[in-house]
Amino acid sequence: MVPQHGILLAVNLISDHFGPLVAKVCECLLRHGALPLPEIVRRVRLPRGQVKNTLLILIQHNCDEPPVTLYLAIFDNVLHRLRFSKFLAVVRADIPESEDLIEGLLQNGRLTFDQLVERTISKVQDGTIGREKIRLNFNKLVYARYVERCPKPEPFFNPLGDEEQTSARKKVQKTVEEALSLEKKVINTATLSDPERFSEIPYSMEGCTEDPPKSISGAKRKHGAFEIDEELNSTIPENEVLWRANFEKFIFCLKKKFCADRKKSKLKVGTHIIWESFFEANLTDNDTNSATSSINGILEKLGQKEGGAAMTLDQITQVLEELQCTTSTDDPEAFTFDLRQMVEACKNEEIESLVKKTYGQEAFTIFRLLAQGRPVETDQIIDTTILDKQIVHSTLYRLWKDDYIDTAEKVGSTPGTGYAQFFVWRAKSTFREKYIDNLYHAALNLRLMVNRMAELLLEGSMDETKVKNRKNVLILMLARHDDSLMLFHGYPIVRKAEHLLAKCHSYRQVADDWNG
Amino acid sequence: MPPPPDVKPVIPPAKPAAAAPVPADAPEIPPISAAILNNLPPSERDVYKRVYLAGNKGMWSQDLRRATQLTTASLSKSTRALVQRGILKEVTDVRHRAKKVFMDARIEPAPEITGGTWYHNGQLDTDAVAAVRRRCLDQIDRLGAATPDMVHKGVERDDPRAGYTIDQIRDILQTMALDRVLEERKSTGEGEFSAVRAGRVCYRRGGAPQGGMMEGIPCGVCPRMDECSPDGVISPTTCVYYKKWLQMDF
Repeated sequence: MVPQHGILLAVNLISDHFGPLVAKVCECLLRHGALPLPEIVRRVRLPRGQVKNTLLILIQHNCDEPPVTLYLAIFDNVLHRLRFSKFLAVVRADIPESEDLIEGLLQNGRLTFDQLVERTISKVQDGTIGREKIRLNFNKLVYARYVERCPKPEPFFNPLGDEEQTSARKKVQKTVEEALSLEKKVINTATLSDPERFSEIPYSMEGCTEDPPKSISGAKRKHGAFEIDEELNSTIPENEVLWRANFEKFIFCLKKKFCADRKKSKLKVGTHIIWESFFEANLTDNDTNSATSSINGILEKLGQKEGGAAMTLDQITQVLEELQCTTSTDDPEAFTFDLRQMVEACKNEEIESLVKKTYGQEAFTIFRLLAQGRPVETDQIIDTTILDKQIVHSTLYRLWKDDYIDTAEKVGSTPGTGYAQFFVWRAKSTFREKYIDNLYHAALNLRLMVNRMAELLLEGSMDETKVKNRKNVLILMLARHDDSLMLFHGYPIVRKAEHLLAKCHSYRQVADDWNG
Repeated sequence: MPPPPDVKPVIPPAKPAAAAPVPADAPEIPPISAAILNNLPPSERDVYKRVYLAGNKGMWSQDLRRATQLTTASLSKSTRALVQRGILKEVTDVRHRAKKVFMDARIEPAPEITGGTWYHNGQLDTDAVAAVRRRCLDQIDRLGAATPDMVHKGVERDDPRAGYTIDQIRDILQTMALDRVLEERKSTGEGEFSAVRAGRVCYRRGGAPQGGMMEGIPCGVCPRMDECSPDGVISPTTCVYYKKWLQMDF
């Protein structure tokens, strides 16, 4: 279930990037799940042609047979638009020469290699970059799995299991959580196998580029999409393969970066370089919930750092073990760090920190006790936390009023003492959902404020420099706030998903701010 | 050096049941005195007997009134007389401070009535708690990672008059772990845990508090978040907290 403010944030994003009509259709899909075209037309009360166009913008596919085609909105992918600048920064740090290419893919959703070449050459006017160089840079991205081939354009999926005609196809581009099982099944149907997803462009392809490259500018792009879809039932020629950025890989990179940075403040003097080397040596990404590095890789990276070469193997092993990097019996040479466990711990820290800031130290202590899962009686809370009874009572009331904790009345039997009843307390299972909804709400508010600043700049009624500064602060805070969103929503469920067609926006400036 | 806290003596563990007719759950309670009973008028004798039987938990005046079937006036007269003669005493129940609870003057109140070792006259002795927390932290800083036993021994060595029990130290360490001042870990027996046998529960410094990504923006701790909507009366563009945060008064 997507939280209420999550939908509002997603709609706000789409509205800013594609305009109000597309946002309206997107909101309809996010709120109602999978819908056929006539149903969307009925609900949004827009002309059919307009709805079709908005869907095209969202899905970059021809809507072939409306009566049997369902559309879904992929909530995660809408949100990823918020963090394109970060994705760009990841590539800049890793393969700087390929930054232009990934930028093209992020801005345009999905492109053929020809389109990418045309775009890149038109951007670099001086002619210093050739097709061959672009191909090499592009293959580096594919090799590092930053880009992948788009899934099958027309996944055939029949949720009811009926014997429908083969022409009955379900196209799925974006989905909401309510339709999770449907979404998963459809995406699994559409997903290519790993060798297919990440196969590089061979030399032989260079010869078969006789077709004129398709235009990639905004309106013409849609036209290009129609042309591709006309060939659906035939094999798509090699040079018509569509490429897109692999969000899964980017999210994994950001997850590693987050965990590495988060632990830095807790590290002892002299152990920073080992921790850094561990993450630098991590190359495998088969499992997005852990990072594994071989000891040889760590030693190699460590040797390149100041003071690293002098460390003994015993020292390094000991530090890694203290940092909770474990070795397995299968491969005693490799160290694994559990990212999922760390992400879970960070989530708890974030919520507890907010409780502390809002309700004070006592509430923090009590909340931590109650978040352990089992119900605790009022007197036991007083005994365990060694806090004053009045403070405990008032704090429990405040936490309960704001839906953080839950209570139940129990009838006791202690004769002679007059205590006929007592209350047990525990943290509510929904406090995380509430927190996440607030996160989306806060992100939405930040975006609204950024837009407000832009309006003020246009009006020109206030000091321009000051308004610009405020706007930059807000953009920076939004990028930082997105780390929280990713922590609570992006990291745990990394799904393979479809792209959206994007308008050209300058993510570079935001990337610079974020890095700064 | 802070003064040693006002620590109440802990009731020693139960001895084998004595022959005297005393309440079974408190064998250390002295037997009921025949001399006292013989000198009391009948109504006060009944009150005393019932309060005595309630043991170290004491008896609430309302329960006493129901049990003796006396009027409020005559009961308070009897209890007042018994308190004045030093036979009964009035104790404060830490959980129900407004309740009048009576107890045999010779009996020490149970920890659930006094609130345990950290309470003095029914009030939490915050100074005593703070003092022992400071001492525990000193020991952890000195030892790195330590078991409650090690901390207890360290505190005793530094100040033999302090008189903390191991249970008290354990309670305090657990509370400090809840506060994230300390971190509870199982010893690996290596590195910083080398002084502690592997597998034993020990405590070490919790490190700098982390988190707080949400608190950097006004919405993070906004009390009106539930009432805020893009087009509502409370919205980000009309928000006073945002205005203040962005210093939009130019």
